[in-house]
Amino acid sequence: MKGWRSDHAVCLWIPSFPLRAEEARRPDLADRPTALLTPEDTRRIWQASPLARRQGVQPGLTVSQAIGLCPTLALIEPDPVFYDERFATLLLRLEDVSPVVEPAELGRAYVGVDGLEGLYGTPERVVEVIAETAGGPLRLGWGRGKFTAWVAATRAQPGRPIIVTDEQRMGFLKSQPLGALPLDPDNHRRLQQLGLKTLGDLAALPETAVIAQFGREGKAAWRLASGLMDEPVRGRARPQPIVASLDYPSPVADRGMLAHTIGVLIEHALRDPRRTGWRVQTVRVRAALEQGASWLIEVMLKEPAALRERIHPPLLAHLERTPPTGAVESLAVEFTAFARGTDELQLFAKDAAAAARAGRRKALRGAVREIRNRLKRSMLYRVIEVQPWSRLPERRYALIAFEP
Amino acid sequence: MVPPARTPLRLDRLRALNLPSSVEVSLDEWGRPTEIVEDSAEGRKKVETVVEEWKIDDEWWRTPIHRRYVEVVLEGGAHVVLFEDLVSSEWFMQRP
Repeated sequence: MKGWRSDHAVCLWIPSFPLRAEEARRPDLADRPTALLTPEDTRRIWQASPLARRQGVQPGLTVSQAIGLCPTLALIEPDPVFYDERFATLLLRLEDVSPVVEPAELGRAYVGVDGLEGLYGTPERVVEVIAETAGGPLRLGWGRGKFTAWVAATRAQPGRPIIVTDEQRMGFLKSQPLGALPLDPDNHRRLQQLGLKTLGDLAALPETAVIAQFGREGKAAWRLASGLMDEPVRGRARPQPIVASLDYPSPVADRGMLAHTIGVLIEHALRDPRRTGWRVQTVRVRAALEQGASWLIEVMLKEPAALRERIHPPLLAHLERTPPTGAVESLAVEFTAFARGTDELQLFAKDAAAAARAGRRKALRGAVREIRNRLKRSMLYRVIEVQPWSRLPERRYALIAFEP
Repeated sequence: MVPPARTPLRLDRLRALNLPSSVEVSLDEWGRPTEIVEDSAEGRKKVETVVEEWKIDDEWWRTPIHRRYVEVVLEGGAHVVLFEDLVSSEWFMQRP
């Protein structure tokens, strides 16, 4: 293990993770045909259980089509926050096995395993430990680089992991279907039309020919298929404690004032850039009291949070129960433990996506204003189509001043 | 007459994109590019693959355009279009 990276990886994959999470929450669903609705468009199916798929229900169908195919289908409203929380908890558990854990998407994560043989022994044992730690039915693949581990996981069955040693790697990759490559559907279709079926078929072509046809994406695909690209697992160092503090001009004993200050300090600490990508798990409030005494409360949040409204109330309850024994001269809020995740609503929640878009537009407008102030003109442009059909490349597109 | 509701497009604010830049090109015996020399610091680059060739004869009613295009992949993987202005015999380069 070199710092926060590892060349060898275990890919942990739980297909249809949101559906599995719903089944874990409501065990009665396990023996019924079920389908989850799409978070962005609840008229369409997002994921379908094996029982529902057997009756023809597929992701992307409209609800009426799905019910037509399977009248007993149980439809579930999506709960992205719940899936996200569950996945974050799984990642936390994996961090007990290895400090290098990299989430890829909901239900898929890579665990760096370099050096773990010293702790657990053979790769088989390491995989076993990861399976025990994560729990539940999951697919596991062990290999050099994330791609090999991922391909191995896609071939594995629940409870039967696949381990690809460095010596077996080239032979293993060669025989795998092209579907394992991270390509867009159009390029996958083109490869099929060219009669290519396995990674070995692609690797046998000259690299330049693949680049000429598929550009940069083709280059990466060719290098992955040839075993020339080993993407290591990259973990992230947990942030150091974040502290926000305030010295009162004169000692304060009023509890309302203290409660207000704690709220302001929480907001201040949440805005610290080191907190980006992490939710707060443990919060402390320290106070220096008159005559040299001190006061400390610590709260471990039931669910990691990144909003003042979720962090403030348990601290206030604590403040009511065990208030400082004297007037407070200075107060500090300290975040001491963190869990992965950026906000209460994550990537999969549509509210979060809309908020992120609105935030980006606002930030963009601010940046444009700033540039105009400094340079007296915008210097930012947008690409527009002029004659996209033209046979002369320079006539197809032009730049126009960008005004958000 | 009611004016159109959308903001009129001001042509003076448009800036051309992907304008061809002058380039020196070495050719093989069949007239296909083998190497290019740019003015920029990147200098000399070998042509790895010729992807496609075509010719354009257009706009004979105003300033005639006669060009021979060659789409190539350069060493390092860059994908570019070279063309020879058949009127001036100069070579230019631009993005596809």
